[in-house]
Amino acid sequence: MSAILASIGYSHWALHVLIVLPLVGIIPILVGPVAAARRVALFVTVVEFIVSMGLWWGFAPTAGMQFVSSTPWIPRLGVSYSVGIDGISLFMVLLSTALMPLAVLSSFTYITKHERAYYAFLLAQLVGMVGCFIATDLFVFYVFFEVLLIPMYFLIGIWGGANRLYAAIKFFIYTIFGSLLMLVAILAMVWRIGAQTGTLSFSYEHLLTNAAQVGPLAPWLFAAFALAFAIKVPIFPFHTWLPDAHVEAPTAGSVLLAGVLLKIGTYGFLRFAVPFFPQVAHDPFVSRLIVVLAVIGIIYGALVALVQPDFKKLVAYSSVSHLGFVMLGIWGGTVQSVQGSLMVMISHGLSTGALFFLIGMLYERRHTREIAAYGGIARVIPVFGIILTVVALSSIGLPGLNGFVGEFLVLLGSFGNHPVATIIATTGVIFAAAYLLWAIQRVLFNRLDKPENERLTDLNPRELIVLLPLVAGIVWLGLFPGPVLRRMEPAARHFVEITQPVPGSTGAASVAEVRP
Amino acid sequence: MTLLDMTTPAGVTIALLPEIVLSASAVLVLLVISWRHETAADSRLAGWLALGGVVLSAIAQAWLWISHVEASGLEQMVALDPFRFAGNLVILVSAAASILLSLAYMERERMLAPEFYALVLMATVGMMFLAGAEDLIVVFLGLEVMSIAVYVLAGFNRRSIFSAEAALKYFLIGAFASGFLLYGIALVFGATGNTNLQLIGAQFAGGPMPLMGKLGLGLLLIGFAFKVAAVPFHMWAPDVYDGSPTPVTGLMATGVKAAGFLALTRVLMEAFPAAISLWQPIVGVLAVVTMIVGNLVALSQRSIKRMLAYSSVAHAGYLLVAVWPGTRLGAGSVLLYLLAYGLTTLAAFGILATLGHGGERDVTNDDIAGLATTRPWVAFGLTVCMLSLFGFPGTFGFIGKWYILQAVINQRQFILPVVLVLTSVISAGYYLPVIMAMYMKPARAETDEAGMRRLGRPASFAVVLTVVAVVVFGLWPSPAFNSAVDSAATLTETTTPLAGQ
Repeated sequence: MSAILASIGYSHWALHVLIVLPLVGIIPILVGPVAAARRVALFVTVVEFIVSMGLWWGFAPTAGMQFVSSTPWIPRLGVSYSVGIDGISLFMVLLSTALMPLAVLSSFTYITKHERAYYAFLLAQLVGMVGCFIATDLFVFYVFFEVLLIPMYFLIGIWGGANRLYAAIKFFIYTIFGSLLMLVAILAMVWRIGAQTGTLSFSYEHLLTNAAQVGPLAPWLFAAFALAFAIKVPIFPFHTWLPDAHVEAPTAGSVLLAGVLLKIGTYGFLRFAVPFFPQVAHDPFVSRLIVVLAVIGIIYGALVALVQPDFKKLVAYSSVSHLGFVMLGIWGGTVQSVQGSLMVMISHGLSTGALFFLIGMLYERRHTREIAAYGGIARVIPVFGIILTVVALSSIGLPGLNGFVGEFLVLLGSFGNHPVATIIATTGVIFAAAYLLWAIQRVLFNRLDKPENERLTDLNPRELIVLLPLVAGIVWLGLFPGPVLRRMEPAARHFVEITQPVPGSTGAASVAEVRP
Repeated sequence: MTLLDMTTPAGVTIALLPEIVLSASAVLVLLVISWRHETAADSRLAGWLALGGVVLSAIAQAWLWISHVEASGLEQMVALDPFRFAGNLVILVSAAASILLSLAYMERERMLAPEFYALVLMATVGMMFLAGAEDLIVVFLGLEVMSIAVYVLAGFNRRSIFSAEAALKYFLIGAFASGFLLYGIALVFGATGNTNLQLIGAQFAGGPMPLMGKLGLGLLLIGFAFKVAAVPFHMWAPDVYDGSPTPVTGLMATGVKAAGFLALTRVLMEAFPAAISLWQPIVGVLAVVTMIVGNLVALSQRSIKRMLAYSSVAHAGYLLVAVWPGTRLGAGSVLLYLLAYGLTTLAAFGILATLGHGGERDVTNDDIAGLATTRPWVAFGLTVCMLSLFGFPGTFGFIGKWYILQAVINQRQFILPVVLVLTSVISAGYYLPVIMAMYMKPARAETDEAGMRRLGRPASFAVVLTVVAVVVFGLWPSPAFNSAVDSAATLTETTTPLAGQ
């Protein structure tokens, strides 16, 4: 496979195509007939996914940044359009490109107004997401980080639910608040390192190598980066925008928000905040604070999810809980815990994405997301029932499905450095079982006592095409996580080495071969 | 490089070519309209003549810039450096856009007095003298030439009491500000015996600053603060911007503001580099207060025009942050931001002019609800403007803000950048609802289609051009950026050694 890729010069153009293709795709959508918009969007996103698949084979698990390229953009200020991927960003890019065709496909009947604009915004969203993950220049990263906001803002604001305007502006202002402070931090860092080394550059490599030069500014800079990403993740107590945004967003918006956008926060910690300022990040106070907030997020998210009457809001709060595991793993300080974090990021994208799709499909049929409005529908729509059960079990973390691998690795890897927090976090898994099992019991099983539910139609082929790839991914990652873990292992090891929280922890054995 | 002897008449003529061309055009317009001042066609003729004058002046300016003209000795009266050339071009762009916007607007609002265009040209000449002044007397002359013309322009709609209020208010406050400025000039002259900026700078560099000089500096700062509408000297701005005809508001918010800031930058950097420790705290505090008050008050405005007026106060705050460092980097960021802000604001006012009538004072977010469906391109243009004013990446406004932040951070100052970005977050609270109304709210059932007037080709052309420029410079900032940096590099730089380097 890699020979074929090499013969077409794949590594030279792949990342550029991933950015340019959706941008070009926007044009025919906007100028073409309304009826064709969705098909064009589907075509573009499928092609995008196929192109991105080459990264999986072309990626060499041993090396650092790959597929790199750099073109000067604003030479006077050391800004260049630099891209590249490593074992962390590879999976985030694949997750984005994989979810996108499904998001488009799921919108075929859900979206009935302003279709051209809708699909154009979805493609713009794709550009922002991929751009964020492949940028290796902080200016470029920042631009994509902000550009991401606009499509989601419109997706929520135009095609959202009843309270959409409030949710859209809350989402925007929360995120922009953190990111603007991060902008100041980026500029301060670039200036300081520029003054010390004589090279003014926004290049990630340059800044990472000389990050120690920021000196006494480090805690402030870390605080700004951490705040921006903490809001994006979101870490408790910055999570209040999330339920609003999720509940109001259209299905595809929720899927992308949970599946990819939240990961940009954790990705930011893995890529920027922690590697740049390891001493600050692993300062006992800071590290304890983050771990405590992560554990609060895990427990609080789960408990609040337990009492939600709205199925979508329940899943939204479960995201807060899952992302808490990711944060715990990043601060776990071992290769396992970091790999676990990455696995949770991927699994959460698949499982929560699938859950939001399923809820959207239910909503299209009954126009309500109240759990109490359903009951016993597994008898009416069995295929839906089976898929929802599988997805819910994966989200709970049933061994054999994808959710288990990540959470297990996080808990295993973090136990050494944060035993108490890890023990408390483990109870979050139990709560997850409680809220999800209880929810699917009330939705799928119980008594079929609402006459409206007797006429529900089961999933149609299009909906199955949306869901089956996700289910396949869920099972595949659960049974054979090896190939994925192998590819992310060097990156995770590198992350642990450069951040070096506790001497000796880097010697932990590779878990690439672990099979549950 | 061409050296010009600015003591000879020929030298001065070449140095002042853009201003001379523009003044001649103003006279020509006046001459033509003394025969033809009745019909709409006459008014249009005057407009096109004025536009021609602006274009010719811009060509002269560009020619001076490309041929790298420099003064052989001391720059007398008027500067001869790329900072002036670039600044003049910013001013000429805003004049040209305002004229294009006015062509159909004046007709629509039944203000068929072709003198309007002559006044615009004279105001522009004043702005150029103010921005390029190398001598405090020329600062004052330029200021007055500009202001007197703009007073009249503000009150140009004789049938509107708000327009009259705007003119009167602007005149009274303007006279007040001129008084401060003149008194400041007198005191500085008393302290140094000079009015030339560089000579004053040399005089002060020698030793401790005399009290008279300090007082003079303070009064100058107050005068400028009035002119650029910095809080707490901003009270006039919202009413004046609100009451004036919209194209005039555009000119005031961009050209007049640009001239004020360019002059302020030059005066502080050339005449008072020695007193940097004195004026930096004042400018810094003014900047912080202006950003906070401007943004907070804009938040509570219902009328879009008034919101833009307060947002212009907020932007004066950002510009004061750019003035604060007193370095070439800072001066470059003043230039760049003036261009970015100017283009965006002109486009925004141009679009606003198509959304209402009678001065557009009563256009609120409710009136533009659902605009994305009825007039998608207008909605898109206004969206770009709002995002650029907010400073969103991908627009020119972001590049401008980013460069200001960089210039300030390079001076080891972090409070101003943090205040700048936090107040920018506040500004999302009034820029976004405009976008929201257009895209996310349904059009009102009883939409007042008659209330919306189209503005004709020239105005549309100006709006399209400025919007495109906002996006293009946002994505590919290098040309604008390099010109701004290079022009600012010719200013005398204050020497504040950075500790620790």
